[in-house]
Amino acid sequence: MADTAELKEREQKLQGMGASLLRKEDARFIRGQGTYIDDLTLPGMLFGAIVRSPFAHARITSIDKQKALACPGVVAVLTADDLKPVNLHWMPTAGGDVQAVLADKKVCFQYQEVAMVLATDRYAAYDGAALVEVGYEELPAITDPKQALAAGAPVIREDIADKKDVGHGPRTHPNHIFTWESGNKAAADAAFKSAAITVREEILNPRVHPCPLETCGCVASFNKATGYLTVYVTSQIPHLFRTVLAMLSGLAESKIRVVGGDIGGGFGNKVPIYPGYVVATVASIVTGVPIKWIESRIDNISTTGFARDYHGVGELAADKDGRIKGLRFSALADHGAFNSHVSASKLPAGLFSICTGSYAIPNAYCRVDAVYTNKAPGGVAYRCSLRVTEAVYLIERMMDVLAQKIGVDKAEIRRRNFVKAEQFPYTTSLGWTLDSGAYHAALDKVLTAVDYEGLRREQAAKRADPKCPTLMGIGISTFTEIVGAGPTKVCDILGIGLFDSCDIRVHPTGAVIARLGTMSQGQGHATTYSQIIATELGLPASDIVIEEGDTDKAPYGAGTWGSRSTPVAGAAAATAARKIKDKARKIAAHLLEVGEGDLEWEIDRFKVRGNPSQAKTMKEICLVSHTGNLPPGMEQGLNAVAYYDPPNLTFPFGAYLCVVDIDKFTGETKVRRFYALDDCGTRINPMVIEGQIHGGLTEAFAVALGQQLPFDESGNHLGNSLMDYFLPTAMETPHWETDHTVTPSPHHPIGAKGVAESPHVGGIPCFSNAVIDAFAHLGVTHMDMPHSSYRVWRKCQELGVNKRPGDA
Amino acid sequence: MKVAFERTFALPATADQAWKLLEDLERVAMCMPGARITERRDARHFKGTVAVRFGPASLQFRGELEVLALEPESRTLRLRGTGTDATGGSAASLDLTAHIEPKDAASSTLAGRGEASLSGKAATFGARVADPVAQQVLQQFAANFAAELAARAPAAAAPSKPLNGLGLLWAVVLSWLRSLLGARRT
Repeated sequence: MADTAELKEREQKLQGMGASLLRKEDARFIRGQGTYIDDLTLPGMLFGAIVRSPFAHARITSIDKQKALACPGVVAVLTADDLKPVNLHWMPTAGGDVQAVLADKKVCFQYQEVAMVLATDRYAAYDGAALVEVGYEELPAITDPKQALAAGAPVIREDIADKKDVGHGPRTHPNHIFTWESGNKAAADAAFKSAAITVREEILNPRVHPCPLETCGCVASFNKATGYLTVYVTSQIPHLFRTVLAMLSGLAESKIRVVGGDIGGGFGNKVPIYPGYVVATVASIVTGVPIKWIESRIDNISTTGFARDYHGVGELAADKDGRIKGLRFSALADHGAFNSHVSASKLPAGLFSICTGSYAIPNAYCRVDAVYTNKAPGGVAYRCSLRVTEAVYLIERMMDVLAQKIGVDKAEIRRRNFVKAEQFPYTTSLGWTLDSGAYHAALDKVLTAVDYEGLRREQAAKRADPKCPTLMGIGISTFTEIVGAGPTKVCDILGIGLFDSCDIRVHPTGAVIARLGTMSQGQGHATTYSQIIATELGLPASDIVIEEGDTDKAPYGAGTWGSRSTPVAGAAAATAARKIKDKARKIAAHLLEVGEGDLEWEIDRFKVRGNPSQAKTMKEICLVSHTGNLPPGMEQGLNAVAYYDPPNLTFPFGAYLCVVDIDKFTGETKVRRFYALDDCGTRINPMVIEGQIHGGLTEAFAVALGQQLPFDESGNHLGNSLMDYFLPTAMETPHWETDHTVTPSPHHPIGAKGVAESPHVGGIPCFSNAVIDAFAHLGVTHMDMPHSSYRVWRKCQELGVNKRPGDA
Repeated sequence: MKVAFERTFALPATADQAWKLLEDLERVAMCMPGARITERRDARHFKGTVAVRFGPASLQFRGELEVLALEPESRTLRLRGTGTDATGGSAASLDLTAHIEPKDAASSTLAGRGEASLSGKAATFGARVADPVAQQVLQQFAANFAAELAARAPAAAAPSKPLNGLGLLWAVVLSWLRSLLGARRT
C-alpha cells in the first residue's frame, strides 16, 4: 500500500480541486499580453463611430450627411433608412420587445444611436460623426418611472402604442411593459391582517452601471467570397450571440463564427446584443470589409447595460417575537426606452422571487410592474442573477426594519427566522427549493469571530457619549443567493435552454483539451475547470488546456453570467470527465485482466482491489487508448462530450458583518471592518474564490457608497464619466476579512454552488445596514443608497447630530 | 437641465436710444460673447453660432434665432434660440425677454429674464457651472451693450471671440467666492 506521503505527493502533483493553483491566465495579463477586441486589426478594416442623440425624447426632423461624407477618410454614413432595405433598423429583444438599431424617426433616450459613420480610421470616423447634422424636435421626457403610468404621460413608444402585449401579458398603459407576480396574495394578505406586528418601507435600488474596465466593442468581418462571417466581440454569451446573428442576418449559423477573446470584465454588461454590434455587422456584410466599433467610456456608461432601477416596497408581518408570518414585496421597474432587458423568456422579473431569503416565511407574495422611461434600455444583472440583488437587498433591509420595530437584536431576528439545517432541501412559499444550507452555524461563526457582543457594547457607549465625533454602525447580512441558471424546463432564452456543455479530448501523452460553452471575463475558468478535470481524471491541471468563447471550437452553451459557470459548465466538465473515466476503467480492467468491479480508483490510477501493486495510471491508459490493445469492440480515443441540464439552481449563502464609523461633521463613512463568511459548497480553488469575493465586495462597496446614474428632468445623463461615476480604486477600497463554511450542493456532481456574485449580492445590504444602523438609535429605519458623504452629511444635518456646543 | 435667470442692468443712454440698438438684432448678437449671426433669413429669423469654452471642452452651437415679438410701445423684445453643438453631443435653447425701461433723461435700464436649457454633454459636464456661467455671459453682454451704446458709433464688424475659457472660469470662481462671502449659508 502506498504510504500517506506518497499519496499526498501524487495528489499535489495534480493540483486538482482544493488547491490554490495560481491562475493560468495571469501570466499574460500581468505582462500586458492579453488580447482584447481593440487590439485586433484586420487588413482593410474600417472604423465605425456612432452619432448619438443629445435629447432624451425627440422627433428626428432631418439627417444631413453631406458634410460628414465630405470629411477626409469618411466612407459611408448609415442611418435607419439605410438599414431598412435589409429590415435591420429594428431588432427583436430577449424581452419580447423590439429595439431600434438606429433611431427610426424618433429618439427615446439620451445618447441613443442615430447614425454610424464609417471611416478609414477612428479619428476620421469621429470627425465625420461630428459633422452629421441631425434636426430634432424635442418632446417632454419621463425619467421617473413613477410618472410613466400617469394619465396623459408622454407616450414613449409610439411604435407599439396599440400593442396589447409585449411578450409578458396584458398592458394597461402605453408606457406599461408587464406586470409579473408570484406567490399567494390572499394568504399573504390574511397573514398581514392577523399579524401582531407589520412593517413597511420604500426601498430603492438606484440605477447603476457595472462599468467593466474594457468597454463593449466588436470587429465584424464578412468574407464575400466564402460567405463566412466572423465577429470578434465582447460577449459573455458567444453561442447565443451567434444564434441571434443567424436569426437577424439570415446567414446559416454554421457560416458564422463568434470569438470572445480576452474580455476585460463583464459583470453582466456584456450579455446583451447592442445596436453597435448589429450595425457593424450589417456594414461588414454590405461592404465586405472588416468593421471595428468600440465604445467610449461615456458611451458605455450611458447606453449599454445599466442595472437595477428597482423602486421597491417591502412589507413584513410578524408575531410579537418577530417570527415572520407574511411577506409582501413589490417593485416598480424602470426598463428604459426598450424592453431589451436580459431575462429568461419565462422569468421577466428574473429571480426576484428569491426574496424570502434565508428565512422560513409561510406566506409570501411579490409583484413587479415594469415601465418604459426615456432612459437607456438593456438592463442587465450587475454581478448577480437577474433581480437577485434587488430581492436580497429588500429582505435583508426589511429584517433590520423589523428588528428595530420590535426592539430585538439584528442578529437575533435572523436566528429566529432562519430555515433550519435539518429542513433542507427546503421549498419556499414562492416555490424555490433551497438545496442545502447551515445558516445558524454560519452566522454564529461570524459573530464569534468579530466579538459581536463587544461591538454592540462599544456602540452603546459611543451613543451615550455626546462628545463622540463619530456614529458607529454594525451591519449584518445573512443572504441566500440563487445561481446557476438553469434547469431548461424553467430557463430559456429565445427558446434555447440554459444548459451548458463540455467537450474533453485526451491526448496520448495524457495532455487534455477541454472546451466549454461558457466565456471567462476574468473569472479564472482556465484554472478552475482544469482543476475539476484534474481531480476527476487524475491528470495534472498544468497539462489541461481550457478553451472557451470560440464558437467554431467550443460546444454550445449559454455563456457566463449569473454565476452559472461552475454550477452548470463545471458540472458538464465533471460529467464528461466521468464518461472518460468509465471508459478508462474498462481499458484498465482489460490490461490488468480483472473485472471492472475488482478495480478501485486512487488519485491518478486504477488499482486491483487487494493487490495494490497491480495498477494502471491514467497516463498509461491515455496512451493505450490510442493503440490496438483495447477491449474487443472498443473504439480508440479517450474523448467525451457532456451536456448538463441542471436539475435545480444552486443556493450559495453567507453571513457578512460590517462595522462603520461615520464622521458626524463630514458624513464620511469609514469601513472599519468587513467580515465575509461565504458558503459556496465544494471549494475548487480557494485563492480564486477569495479573489472573487474581494472583487464582489469591492463592487458592493461601490454600489452602496457611491454608484448612481442620475438624470435631470429633461433626461440628461448627469453621471456618465469616471469624473462622476464612482469606481473604487485601492485608495477607497476597505480591507476584507474572509471566512467560509462548506455545505455542498446535493444535486451538483461535485457539490459546488458558484460564488462570484454572493459578495456583491450579500455585500450591498450589509453596507447599507451598517450605515443605517449608525442612525438607528435616532429613529432612522431606512436611507436610500448611495451612502455618499454628502448624502450622509445631509442626514446628520437633518437629525442635528453634528451640532457643536454653542451652535445655534 | 434648465437655468433660469433674471437680471437688470443700467444703461448709459435714453430708453429710445437703447431700444434702437436692441431692435438691431445683428448688432445685439455681437454684444453676446462668442455669438455671431451668420445668415438673415427674414426680419424675424436668423441663423447663427455661439462658441463657448469650458476649460478643455469647446462647444460650437449652430442654430436658429427667432424673434417672437418686437414691441416698440413697451420696448420689449422676445426671442427664442435653439442650437446643436457641432460635435453632435449637445444641444441648447434659450428663451429670452428683454425690456427697456426709461430711468431719467440720460439713462435707462435693461431688464432681461429667461431660461436656457442644455442637453447632452453640455448638460452632463456643464451642469455644475451652468448657473454662474449664464450669469457671467449676461454680465458680459450687458457690459458690451452699454459700451456699444456709449460709443454711439457704428462699430466695425470685428470677429467674434469665443467666450474665453480661462477668463470666464476666473470670473465664475470670483463670483462664487463672492457668493460664499456675501451670504451666510444655512
